[in-house]
Amino acid sequence: MSLLRIENVSRHFGNLVAVDDVSMIVEPGELRAVIGPNGAGKTTFFNLITGFLIPTSGRIVFDGSDITKMLPARRVWRGIARTFQITEVFPELTLHENLRIAVEVAAGYRLKAWLSRDANGEVKARVTDLLEIGGLGEKADRMVGELSHGDQRATEIMMALALNPKLLLLDEPTAGMGDQETYDITQLIRKLHHDKKLTIVLIEHDMRVVFHLADRIMVLTEGAMLAEGTPKEIAANEAVQAAYLGKVA
Amino acid sequence: MVQLILFNVLNGLIIGAFYALMALGLSLILNLSGVINFAHGGFLAIGAYLAYTLIPYVGFWGALLAAPFLTAFIGILVERVLIRRLYGRDPLYSLLLTFGLAFMIEDGTRFIWGADSLPYQIPGWLQNTLSSQLFFLTGYRVFMVVLVAVAVLGLFLILTRTRLGLRIRAGTLDLETLSVLGVNVRILRNLNFGLGIYMAGLAGVLAAGMLGLQPTIGDSLIMPSFVAIIVGGLGSLPGTLVGGLLIGVASGVTTVFLPSASEAVMYVLMAVVLLIRPRGLLGEEGRF
Amino acid sequence: MDLVSRRRAGDAAIWLLLVSAPYWLTHVGGYVELGTRVLILALAAMALNFLLGFTGVLSFGHAAYFGLGAYGVAMTIKYLIASTPLAILVGVAAGTAAAAVVGPLIARLRGVYFAMCTIAFGQVFYYIAFQWRSVTRGDDGLTAWHRMPLDFGFAELDILNNNKAFYYMVLVVFAAAVAAMAFLLRSPFGRTLLAIRENERRARFLGIPVDRHIWLSWVISCFFVSIAGALYALMNDFVDPRALRWDQSGNFVIMAVLGGMRSFWGPLIGAAIFLVLEDYISSHTDNWMSFVGLFFVLVVLFFPRGILGIIGRRAVS
Repeated sequence: MSLLRIENVSRHFGNLVAVDDVSMIVEPGELRAVIGPNGAGKTTFFNLITGFLIPTSGRIVFDGSDITKMLPARRVWRGIARTFQITEVFPELTLHENLRIAVEVAAGYRLKAWLSRDANGEVKARVTDLLEIGGLGEKADRMVGELSHGDQRATEIMMALALNPKLLLLDEPTAGMGDQETYDITQLIRKLHHDKKLTIVLIEHDMRVVFHLADRIMVLTEGAMLAEGTPKEIAANEAVQAAYLGKVA
Repeated sequence: MVQLILFNVLNGLIIGAFYALMALGLSLILNLSGVINFAHGGFLAIGAYLAYTLIPYVGFWGALLAAPFLTAFIGILVERVLIRRLYGRDPLYSLLLTFGLAFMIEDGTRFIWGADSLPYQIPGWLQNTLSSQLFFLTGYRVFMVVLVAVAVLGLFLILTRTRLGLRIRAGTLDLETLSVLGVNVRILRNLNFGLGIYMAGLAGVLAAGMLGLQPTIGDSLIMPSFVAIIVGGLGSLPGTLVGGLLIGVASGVTTVFLPSASEAVMYVLMAVVLLIRPRGLLGEEGRF
Repeated sequence: MDLVSRRRAGDAAIWLLLVSAPYWLTHVGGYVELGTRVLILALAAMALNFLLGFTGVLSFGHAAYFGLGAYGVAMTIKYLIASTPLAILVGVAAGTAAAAVVGPLIARLRGVYFAMCTIAFGQVFYYIAFQWRSVTRGDDGLTAWHRMPLDFGFAELDILNNNKAFYYMVLVVFAAAVAAMAFLLRSPFGRTLLAIRENERRARFLGIPVDRHIWLSWVISCFFVSIAGALYALMNDFVDPRALRWDQSGNFVIMAVLGGMRSFWGPLIGAAIFLVLEDYISSHTDNWMSFVGLFFVLVVLFFPRGILGIIGRRAVS
């Protein structure tokens, strides 16, 4: 069964059609990239999946359940985790604390006034685990607001991972990054995809990243789907080339 | 019975108009600059006391004309020197600042003019009642309502017909874009503040004639202004106007049935609105 | 000294000062009652700071629940049973219940709007205290009652006539309350509040029901502030509507800001400074109100991060 089915979803803002009759099916373990020129509606599309916005029409089915109108917090509990275009972390807390909060909430401890020694140990172990995956070990005690852009993004991705998501949505993970940082993040995402077998949908502008990582690609322009297929198919697609004319990664 | 209700509704409208005048000034400042001007009542008091001081020299009408402008001028200075520094920061700070200002103004007026009630001269012919039937309708009250209506109309005209007004309205929606378009946002906020304070000053000049003049004159009016904004809707000036009138009328109607609760009813209204429609009757979504 | 030991040393120093206060206060020109007042208002400011500094939510109407704590105490001793512990229980129950009811009405709001509504609701309770003369004696306040000695069965603690005894009673309550607050802030729940303060959107997208947690933080904060209010009534053997007024709310906020919102002990430092200053100024001039107002303005303009904020930032772990 497919993990995510988006069926003819549209979102209007008055007369503006931000997302126009888009459909997408994502299988478990897939890494899907959503690309398109600026203003194509990609972030709005994400917002519909995470529940920040409700579709004007259409249906979204996740893991067998209709989540079209579900509140964001509930979708998180069902297994959808997300990062944002502008990194959203807890700036005046340490990296360790950032991850710890995510782990505790994921473990259902959000209302707990006290944790047993065992539970505490488990939480700490999980945080250490995440730090390792993200390659952030030595920076655990630093305030996240003071970390480099790339490290902040990695922190955010690790926080999303802490939620044990079934689906990970990454909104322009390499935005604003130089070559080295882009490489590091790409490797991290690849690790999550191959080693952890996570299902990932990502929005990206950097074509190197897209073609390096994606199993399938969907192209959006002006809110509607222009093309969909494997990287090879998309690269050869003339309409896509036309839409991207002048846009080099 | 119907007549009694009518009396009180009319009376309530008069008071409501007053609340609306105060609340509109407060709302203007809140909408554009995100500042809760806790000192609004203080500026009302300043307006009243300035009028009191000026009346012997320029008469009531002269004071009515001059005092609000003087008060607005003081407001503009205060904004320029103090409040302006706090715009980028957490709203906590501007609230604390205006809070401190409120203290200083109240004590200051007490220091300069004394703590006792002062006699406030309104023109004799205004004091007469208009008819024996509507005995509570003194000329003064009618005059007040007319003046408030004129002020509100004036505000409306300024906001819709002048460039300043257009900028204020645009700034309320998106200040950043406005500044990118080349509008001097600092001066805009400054003038907007002055406009809001003008209304407080005007309210002061009028209120003294009805409530009597003492340093705490602003206290009883600031709460209804807050409630008017909450009920009418954050971010909406028409909402504030409606809110003020509604509170006044509700208060009036309650006086008929349960006089002691007439002041409490506005809080009940507020609670109901928050429960059913948190953004207020005419408020915009996403303002908070 | 690393961060943890530095903090422990600081805590120890503070407790040492507090426990020995009745003995050194008089030597620096103070008096025991001042120390008691500092403890009580510090507790109120720290309670407010639970919401303000640690959850990032501004309430300018906390005096309402403080005052309800006070009125609960006064009315219990005066009209019901002359028992100090019972009175405190009633006061705290009253303040907390009121907060639990107001909470849902405002938990959906944020920022400036939230603050406005807390002010308005604060005023509701002030108004009730003022108007309901038959019960609260209105503006005159509730007099002709006093704190009752504590009867432990085997001994009696005369907190009425013995100022030092009362100070220590207050200190015990203060210690218990403060320990509870610290405990909560260091728990997983407490960390969700920090998360909300730091980045509400991220907190929401981790699956934290933000409105509900804000409501919880609000109720907890008001619970502790009502304890302070209860003690306040006991200290004065008197309560009047001024305990509920907006200026009282403002005082709590300025104490927290002055001492440092982001630090646990900040409000205590802020309370101490504020009360000492107020004490001094009001004994020298009638215009102390202007000075208090000026004080507010100066703190906002020049000490926004507070005293402990200047000394050093500490992460709460």
